[in-house]
Amino acid sequence: MVEDTFLADDLVSQLISVGEVDLLVGISSHDSPSTIGSAIRAIEDSFQQHFVRQRVVIVLMDGGDKNEEDNVVSVETSAPDEKRARGHGITALRTIHRVRANFAAPPTPGQGLRTILAVADLLRAQACAVVSPASTNLTAASIGNLLTPVFKDKFDFVAPLYRRHKFQGLLMRNLLYPMSRAVFGCGIREVFPSEWGFSGGLASHCLNQNVWQEEAIREQPEAWMTISANSADFRCCQVFIGDKSPPKPGTPGPDIVEILRQTVGTLFWCLESQQSKWFERDTVPAVPTLGPSQQLTSEPTEMDRHRIFEMFQSGVTTLEPILSSILDPETHSEIKNMVTLEEGKFRFRSDLWVRTLYDFAASYHHAVINRDHLVQALAPLYRGMTHSYLVEHADSSPNEIEAANEMLCGEFELQKQYLRERWKAKVEVKS
Amino acid sequence: MRDTIVQALEQAYYNLVHMVGEFLPHFLVMLTIILIGLVVAFVLKYILRTLLRFTKLDRVSEEAGASRVLRMAHLPSMSELLSRSLFWVTWFGFMLVGLSVLGVSSLQEQISRLLRFLPEVFVAILILFLGVAIANFLSRAALLAAVNAGYASARILSWSIRFVIWILAITMTLEELGLARQTVIAAFSIVFGATMLGLAIAFGLGGQDLARKFLEKYLGEPKKATDKEPQPL
Repeated sequence: MVEDTFLADDLVSQLISVGEVDLLVGISSHDSPSTIGSAIRAIEDSFQQHFVRQRVVIVLMDGGDKNEEDNVVSVETSAPDEKRARGHGITALRTIHRVRANFAAPPTPGQGLRTILAVADLLRAQACAVVSPASTNLTAASIGNLLTPVFKDKFDFVAPLYRRHKFQGLLMRNLLYPMSRAVFGCGIREVFPSEWGFSGGLASHCLNQNVWQEEAIREQPEAWMTISANSADFRCCQVFIGDKSPPKPGTPGPDIVEILRQTVGTLFWCLESQQSKWFERDTVPAVPTLGPSQQLTSEPTEMDRHRIFEMFQSGVTTLEPILSSILDPETHSEIKNMVTLEEGKFRFRSDLWVRTLYDFAASYHHAVINRDHLVQALAPLYRGMTHSYLVEHADSSPNEIEAANEMLCGEFELQKQYLRERWKAKVEVKS
Repeated sequence: MRDTIVQALEQAYYNLVHMVGEFLPHFLVMLTIILIGLVVAFVLKYILRTLLRFTKLDRVSEEAGASRVLRMAHLPSMSELLSRSLFWVTWFGFMLVGLSVLGVSSLQEQISRLLRFLPEVFVAILILFLGVAIANFLSRAALLAAVNAGYASARILSWSIRFVIWILAITMTLEELGLARQTVIAAFSIVFGATMLGLAIAFGLGGQDLARKFLEKYLGEPKKATDKEPQPL
């Protein structure tokens, strides 16, 4: 079993004592000490309820200070408490192995995923899942939903679908999903999932790719794995797993720039590194959805639309020299005209939004400016789009939002030729 | 009388032939060296250009914003500029060596001074270029960070960073060239000292209310769109 590996000796010796397994779930145990306990209990409950006879293991990614979570994840195999043991009957006596991968410092998401893939490969796991310890809504059922399609229906990649508010996940709905669907033919909604399932075959495939030193993969490997599974024609599906964890109350709002760097930066990197797989591809294979589809809720929420619009206006005006080097002159001129409109009359047209994103993608490819700066320059425009969306869909029903999203996807697909042309074009000399 | 004139002419002719006889081989050697230099410079230029294409220097230069500066100055790409510079430096060096073969003492002195000065010019150009590239990169980074954080004074901040780095780069360049070293250092110190003193007086003593208003308006708490912004993922 032990071949040449980058895994630490300590981890390998733990794996030898575990032997081959059927199911594997990986989780980081270092960055969410308050929720890690409930997440691990959900995994164990899932094993007890849905996979009674299978050999199973939980892989914990651990880095840095161990004191805080030692109470929760100190033992290598589970010892269910009396109440839970009674609840599960005789199955509660089975061994659920836990192995701990220790890192000197908290591992990057890329390091963590690579370790999980290597462990899955070594233990010859048939079905695996990665779950986020920050997800407060993890249940035995949701983990079972991620593992079952792989283990029983032989899917290779299982993406999650969530229930969330119609004004949450806007980056996903307006950019990441439609763009990856149009460009890569990747019909998976959650391109950057917090939790997902995959087969041992896909784990080996991804493990053998020479990408693990890339910055985009170190920081955000989920999208790459999603797109790779789709591009390499692995069998993909989507399953509904429940509510998306809401942000913790009292915590500051999202750092849009950081999120754009991680998600859009990675998506653009995938465009660059997988050019041969999307450039000539036009078909969008349907990705089956098992069980209910995604759900949108529409209870009233408070959004500071005016401030979002202000930041769009000031951003586009101040960043004019940078935007002029990224955007096509016609696109830039239309955006500049939009900035002069009053807030009430302002709308970011979907065709212009698509063209803007394709200009950004092509400029990323041509590296017209530093790529990190380029992605940061998208933030004001994203805010403009967000404002427009909030106004347009203030009273829309979930079905209307879904229909509008389909139209946006169609616009992305319609303009793919524009992306190809900009991609192939030489860098324009602008002074 | 006639004999003397003829003798003098013969002597002059002899001297001329002797001088030409001595000069011509040196001149031919000089031409040969210059021609060899031309060939060597071409070869080096070709090799450097190929190497730089492999190292993707142009992309790095593009990302750092240096290529934009070159385009604004109507200069070719970074790899082309460097390979052309190498060509001219190499050929110029060979020309100087060739000229020194002629053995003109005053010329030799000038040539040796030029040769001594050449590395300093090269380093000075490099400093200036790096300064411009770093100033562009950092000022753009500051502009983006300030705009996205919601600061009203993003442009002022960006331009200040650019200005400070430019001044620093120009001062270092002039110092490297040894041009009016004392004056440059004194000017640099005065400009910076005066700016800092002026700011201190303005903000600390001259107008507390104005300074407070200014700080509140331009450098105060950024109005972030955080808590009321929708979750993107």
